[in-house]
Amino acid sequence: MDSLFTGLLQESISGTALGCIYALIALGFTLIYKASEVVNFAQGELMMVGAYVNFFLVTSFMAESGEPTGWIFLSGFIGSILFAVLFGWFLDRIINRPLKDEPVFSVIMATISLSIILRAVVSMFAGPMSLIPVSPFGNQIVAVGGIVISILDISIIVSAILLVVLFYYFFHKTKWGIAIQATSEDPVAAQLMGIAVKRVYGLVWIFSAIVATISGILLAPRMSLLDTSMGFLGLKAFPAAVLGGFGSITGAIAGGIMMGVIETISMGTLSFYFSWIKEINDIIVWIVLIAILMVKPDGLFGVEKVRKV
Amino acid sequence: MKGRYEDENLTWIPILIVGIFLLPFVLKGLTYSYKYYLFVLNMAGIYIILTVGLDLLSGYTGLISLGHAAFLAIGSYTSAILVDQVGIPFVFSLFISPLIVGLFGFIIGFPALRITGMYLGLTTMGFGFIVKRLIIAFREWTQGAGGLEVSFPIIFGYTFKSDWDNYFLISAFAILAVVVSRRIGKSKIGRAFMAIRDSEQAAEASGVNLAKYKMLAFFISGIFAGLAGVLFAHTSHFISTDHFDILLSIYFIIMVLVGGASSIYGAVLGTLFIVLLDYLFVPEMKGWIQEFLNIEGGDIQSLLFGLIMFLFIIFQPTGLYGMWLKMRIYWKLFPFNPKKKFI
Repeated sequence: MDSLFTGLLQESISGTALGCIYALIALGFTLIYKASEVVNFAQGELMMVGAYVNFFLVTSFMAESGEPTGWIFLSGFIGSILFAVLFGWFLDRIINRPLKDEPVFSVIMATISLSIILRAVVSMFAGPMSLIPVSPFGNQIVAVGGIVISILDISIIVSAILLVVLFYYFFHKTKWGIAIQATSEDPVAAQLMGIAVKRVYGLVWIFSAIVATISGILLAPRMSLLDTSMGFLGLKAFPAAVLGGFGSITGAIAGGIMMGVIETISMGTLSFYFSWIKEINDIIVWIVLIAILMVKPDGLFGVEKVRKV
Repeated sequence: MKGRYEDENLTWIPILIVGIFLLPFVLKGLTYSYKYYLFVLNMAGIYIILTVGLDLLSGYTGLISLGHAAFLAIGSYTSAILVDQVGIPFVFSLFISPLIVGLFGFIIGFPALRITGMYLGLTTMGFGFIVKRLIIAFREWTQGAGGLEVSFPIIFGYTFKSDWDNYFLISAFAILAVVVSRRIGKSKIGRAFMAIRDSEQAAEASGVNLAKYKMLAFFISGIFAGLAGVLFAHTSHFISTDHFDILLSIYFIIMVLVGGASSIYGAVLGTLFIVLLDYLFVPEMKGWIQEFLNIEGGDIQSLLFGLIMFLFIIFQPTGLYGMWLKMRIYWKLFPFNPKKKFI
């Protein structure tokens, strides 16, 4: 019984780390969805691009100096963030602005084709081989009691918490954050109040690209190989975002962490005790999603919309 | 005879149908690689059967489905199992399998009574993943991820063995699907669908039974997808779960939207556009680009496909059908165009 408990606890912690990644991707979706009701299907690909950019920056810095130091990882990180800012701004220019007055569907389709393009471009630059990601933390682990935690997981959880706090501060205390909130509430009224709505949309895309890049940088070392299929992980963040209630930031984070924990536990303990769970391991998040939507159609934290007739 | 058809000009339809059946002979006369073209057209025909049904669901009723590849998969596997393992003749499977898929559509229609918009899109997407996994799990019948070989279609003793034979089988059913879906779209059912799409409250207030018609939309759409699945399984002789990917579901919805939602001809045009782009135009262009620009490796095919799609959406967001409408208005007003814009 004791080993069951430690197993569950250990899986919960590593599940939380995985869940934090889902939460960050879901946060990226949510930001764009809240502002413009566009579901960005390229979020996973943005994450993949971020991971690749970081990988190439770090390896090329390493080739120059030879020694992997903390500064290299830090400058690689800052370089990738700068790239994400430019990339987000560029995407807003080529997708969001030309399609401003078109139905939301067109923008969604544009993001789908963007995801196809990004996968193809990255595979062209990176070649067909999978890369082995580098991490500043290596494979170190900490043992607390009977539980073994990798430093990598701790770093993921800590950076996710830091990011969420930063975002909370930004959205509730700064002028631009409040402008974004106002725009997502009612774009027309926001415009009448003197908010530069177009610029707000640009900002939202930039933020979403930054969040995606950070989640890519955090996730890459957790996967043994880095290849273009990483973008498909973005699809798994969908149920996470929906579970919490699409369009709610708290919901995205809570939903992401829940999905990560559920998935890890079902792969570990549950599969050990019930062998048939193995068959449905990779779809368990979707089963949970459908089950919950049947009961609560607006997600766990979603606000039930009152529809005007 | 005036009445139901008075708003339509029907003279070109028989010409088109004759044209469709003469097309393989023309292709055979023109080029040696006509077999590949027929293969592509067969693919387009199967997808058209599915997308007109999807258009009734997503375009007319406004219920987004991102899991239609799953309906195609259920249709394919049901028919393969019924014909090859149970021993039912192909002709009967043509009727039974779509009905079974329609029942699955009914099941998915259940959550649709409460869930709307993007939530529904993601629920159907989840349905797609679940079906794919379950097909692998029932490996006694489906042979798991390895794929399943399927027998040739046999109708009244005649075996359809080549792409040439299949072309006539598929195009007959594709024409039938287009005609039936257009009739459904113009009937009481179709008007109820559109009322639900435009405003659920107003539809309900006017006496449209929301639950009944939403379920019906999924059921009908499932039947079309099931028919496409039966034809797909037996004409390609081999099915595996890899084919019924989430990307295929997304392509289906793109086909409907590129053509212009809630127009059956739009769905047909969109499907033809995407399939021809993916199977004919892009491979042609790929060879061209590799020769002139000396690029090697990489996934040029998807890059080109994505780029063309992207540019098309940016410059032509109303889709092909919208383009066609604009062109028609241009010619109607020809010398006195308010805006000198052709497309």
